[in-house]
Amino acid sequence: MKKYTLILLLLIAGFGTRAQTKEAVVKVSGEVTSPLTIGSADLQQYKQTTVIRKDRDGKDHTYSGVIVSDILTKAGVTLGSELRGENLAKFLLVEASDGYQVLFALAELDKGFTDRTIILADKIDGQPLAPADGPFRIIVQDEKKPARCIKQVTAMKVMFAK
Amino acid sequence: MKDNRQANYKLPLSLRKGKVCLILCLLLVVAGLTAYTGTEPTVPMGDYVFNYPANFGNRINVPANNPTTQQGVYLGRLLFYEPKLSATNTISCGSCHQQSKAFTDGKALSIGVNNGLATRNSMSLANLLWARKFFWDGRAASLEGQVAFPLTNPHEMGQPIEVSVQKLSNTKVYPGLFKIVYGDSTITGERIAKAIAQFERTLISANSRYDQYLRNVYQPTDDELKGMELFNRGADPEKGIRGANCTHCHGGPKTYLELFHNNGLDSISKDEGMAAFTGLVTDRGRFKVPTLRNIALTAPYMHDGRFKTLDEVVDHYSEHIKQSVSLSAFLQGESNEVGGKSLKLQPKEKKQLIAFLNMLTDSTFITDKRFADPHRSTKN
Ligand code: HEC
Ligand code: HEC
Repeated sequence: MKKYTLILLLLIAGFGTRAQTKEAVVKVSGEVTSPLTIGSADLQQYKQTTVIRKDRDGKDHTYSGVIVSDILTKAGVTLGSELRGENLAKFLLVEASDGYQVLFALAELDKGFTDRTIILADKIDGQPLAPADGPFRIIVQDEKKPARCIKQVTAMKVMFAK
Repeated sequence: MKDNRQANYKLPLSLRKGKVCLILCLLLVVAGLTAYTGTEPTVPMGDYVFNYPANFGNRINVPANNPTTQQGVYLGRLLFYEPKLSATNTISCGSCHQQSKAFTDGKALSIGVNNGLATRNSMSLANLLWARKFFWDGRAASLEGQVAFPLTNPHEMGQPIEVSVQKLSNTKVYPGLFKIVYGDSTITGERIAKAIAQFERTLISANSRYDQYLRNVYQPTDDELKGMELFNRGADPEKGIRGANCTHCHGGPKTYLELFHNNGLDSISKDEGMAAFTGLVTDRGRFKVPTLRNIALTAPYMHDGRFKTLDEVVDHYSEHIKQSVSLSAFLQGESNEVGGKSLKLQPKEKKQLIAFLNMLTDSTFITDKRFADPHRSTKN
């Protein structure tokens, strides 16, 4: 009997760790006052925005998510009235789970500089992004090439150009 | 002899003393010279200057606490080829990373001490100067950190670092060399790793026919040019553009981009790949996109060495990509046929693609004496 309980316990423990596949998150770090770790639920806490953009199929799609500068402001990045002087030499480096990296100058993300919206999206046409694209993807409104619409985002790091 | 000695006896004491001194001095010099050439060869000194083409870019990776020096590289090369670093004194890094095979070993799974099988296929060591994540799953963050794995892994060299340190300390050569490189003769695991890493950074491959083409000194054949076009272009059947889009993952002058992807080998990968430490389902069977430099020399292919030839590799990409949640987005919906599910290259195109892959062989790299086994002359 004891033996069976042990086996049962081991089995449960085993299933426990199997089922516990981790949740993908985005880490916000670097030149910030409070580093953030954002999961799907956290993203819903921010104001939601949509951006329409063509995908590879050539059709318009509606992406929804959160304006990147809102997330950076929450982390204490020098945007808005603070985006001047040496802070204009800062950039955001976005990294994906495959190691791909793209960068944006902070000024490209700031409403005071541009009306173009750049969001961290988690949905396409109301549905979660496909596994190979998500759960988080940067969508750059109106940018001709899709290369900076980086998929499977895992980290956003604010840095000074050296 | 006898006469001389007798003659010596006749000389005044002071003079005799002088002569004895001279002879002793000469003897010392001779002894010194033989000792010098015997155990301490001349070690090149000074900063090591990396030579590479400008189109490789300068995003190189040399940690601030391990600058590359000529003496460090010299020591690192000896250690890279040092079988004493293995439990059986038979295996060195060079056993599984052979220069003639662009630093691979020709086996599906590498064989370590006591014929133990490594769990994965050996990786080519070329242009690591630009790499920032190491191993098939990218789990090592530096070359210095990487070294400890093969040294101590029971299926590779299988020897605790302390034992390696002890063995090297007991040799004539190494304590002196460590002194030249690090200022004192203390041997430590960290110093071993640093020297090996320095040597590995010098393994630069930049003279394949593709490099020569990019330098405008080689005119590719028609097949090579067609293959290059296919390699570099995405398929767009509606516009009549044929392509294989390998460049998305393997592109650039180095044919290495440091990306990690699942390239559709299995629907459920036996080897978890990156998922083993990220715990994400989308990372299952996700591996480093390896360099294609010298690819014709590094068979068999993939993390488990499942494909014996480049034909099999190209067939895989053309017809056998397996769907799964972790399959790379770049390999989904890529086809040369309208609405097609797979790449569908024609037999001729496959040949052209392989002609291009053969352009990546750098025969200078695999014969460069600076990278060869320095123990060779004494060992064999
Ligand atoms: C028994 C065979 C074997 C020996 C001995 C061996 N390696 Fe390896 N090497 C491998 C295999 C297999 C891999 C891939 C392992 C993995 O991804 O888990 C590898 C991977 C590497 C990598 C990663 C390359 C990349 O592009 O990420 C480096 C660097 C390396 N080895 C250096 C060394 C050094 C230095 C030594 C000696 C201290 C050594 N190896 C000894 C088999 C071996
Ligand atoms: C989505 C990114 C991606 C694309 C696109 C891609 N590859 Fe790969 N390639 C990989 C990955 C990842 C591996 C290693 C996979 C493994 O071992 O599990 C690999 C491995 C290889 C290897 C074996 C390398 C070795 O050292 O074992 C060859 C050869 C190769 N690819 C050729 C090609 C060719 C030719 C194309 C175009 C038809 C292509 N690849 C397109 C990601 C890609």
